[in-house]
Amino acid sequence: MKILAIDWGNALDVVGFSFSMVFILLVMIVIVLNLFSRLVAPKVRVHKPKLVNQSGSAKNSEKEYIEDHLSANDSAAIALALHLYYTDVHDVESAIITIKTVERRYSPWSSKIYGLNNLIK
Amino acid sequence: MRTKKYIFLLITLLFAGILTNVSAQTVVNSDSSAKVITTTSQVSPNEIQKVDKPTSGLAYIKDSFINFADSTGFAALNWQTVFMIFISCLLLYLAIVKGFEPLLLLPIAFGMLLTNLPGAGLFNAELFAGGQVHWDNFVQKGGLLDYLYLGVKLGIYPCLIFVGVGAMTDFGPMLANPKSLLLGAAAQLGIFMTYLAAVGLGFTPQEAGSIGIIGGADGPTAIFLTTKLAPHLLGPIAVAAYSYMALVPVIQPPIMRLLTTKKERGIRMKQLRIVSKKEKIIFPIFGTAFISLLLPPAAPLIGSLLLGNLMRESGVVERLSKTVQNELMNIVTIFLGITVGATATSATFMNLQTIEIMVIGVLAFSFGTAGGVLLAKFMNLFTKEKINPLIGSAGVSAVPMAARVSQVVGQETDPGNFLLMHAMGPNVAGVIGSAVAAGLMLTMLK
Repeated sequence: MKILAIDWGNALDVVGFSFSMVFILLVMIVIVLNLFSRLVAPKVRVHKPKLVNQSGSAKNSEKEYIEDHLSANDSAAIALALHLYYTDVHDVESAIITIKTVERRYSPWSSKIYGLNNLIK
Repeated sequence: MRTKKYIFLLITLLFAGILTNVSAQTVVNSDSSAKVITTTSQVSPNEIQKVDKPTSGLAYIKDSFINFADSTGFAALNWQTVFMIFISCLLLYLAIVKGFEPLLLLPIAFGMLLTNLPGAGLFNAELFAGGQVHWDNFVQKGGLLDYLYLGVKLGIYPCLIFVGVGAMTDFGPMLANPKSLLLGAAAQLGIFMTYLAAVGLGFTPQEAGSIGIIGGADGPTAIFLTTKLAPHLLGPIAVAAYSYMALVPVIQPPIMRLLTTKKERGIRMKQLRIVSKKEKIIFPIFGTAFISLLLPPAAPLIGSLLLGNLMRESGVVERLSKTVQNELMNIVTIFLGITVGATATSATFMNLQTIEIMVIGVLAFSFGTAGGVLLAKFMNLFTKEKINPLIGSAGVSAVPMAARVSQVVGQETDPGNFLLMHAMGPNVAGVIGSAVAAGLMLTMLK
């Protein structure tokens, strides 16, 4: 009986209005953020491949470049490549092919005698 | 052996308390020279009035002892206060041993303990009766916790906490995927369903609004709104909000599993784009202006939250940012916890309403979780890039625990699926959503 005495109309009005207002307000923020991100977000220019039609001639596209967002993986790979290039720390191969026996220098670290006979004290 | 020692000590103390209590009551009945005013709740030593002085030395010593016994808190102990002390000890146990939101639950529980010690007079609820501060009696009657409680009553602490929360929050995932704001909005379903449930149980609209905000899973917002709409329910609501926030990893996963298929839980989402520093700086300025102009009652919470965030993202006030994240946040947390706990006196806590609030609180979190998950599933019907519905549950705020729950439940299906950063979007959007919902409740119900 107590439930019937409650002004459910008013309660539902409050819920309906408030919940829809929360949504409307946040949808407005979503729209603004989307517009905003188009203006401010970091973008890179990626070369657009030329379209080739059936006759075999390359079609001149209206835009030569398209704009795209870089993923974190792409950014990291590019950054690493640039870093290696500028600091010159990439592997430099001798580019000499040989069939000579490789001469190894003696090192106690690779010594069999040391490894087998010198026990840890 | 040690346990036995503590039990013996506890029994001795209880025995001493009961003995003192009995002796005080016996003397009141037999001795006409002392008049003791007793109430059901607390007795102040000032209220013990001596009518005339005894003549003999022995009688004087006897009266002195009786007066001393009357002035102790043991004399005023009753089963309600003992029960409240037990509840505070239980909360302390949960905070210390079980690690349930200890940063807040520990001060809340200790505040509860302090306020229920008879005779200490640390907190006087009558100074805040009727939702107003009675400044005329404040200096004479105000205890330590009364002064600290002013920060809650005037809405200062929740806003200061929000400055700290803002300084600790990275809105990047939300800015990278603005659609996550919708999940944050859907998770506010818990607030409004709880409001209806509370109205159905006979609470006034103001009380129902305050209870409903538990569904926002945001402690400062719940405290802010409750002090404005139904200050007499602050204790139970704060305890329910923080207890259930700690129980998010228990409440949410069954609902998430129930509402999603294994295939949906295994959806892998595209990596989020990089958000520039410029975006991160402009968002708090724009967000504050936009939301505050649209919904002025939400301005204190949103303004504080985004001020803290601007301090973090601007990078020019490193010292201030660190201060609000650490020192200020910690100090305010202590004050907030103790004073909120202090409102949980036996008179306000031990009634049917408290039990109803605790029960509805679970519903609030459950509906919030379901709202977020279901909207994510609904969005998947229309969007090309599928959303893992598990991130919808993070829209209930409870930063960052709700996002961690999404990650954990997602990895149960696919251990290589990392949802944490995707879930942080709805998670921080939930903070904005609950602040907006609180502002709306304030506008409509005050």
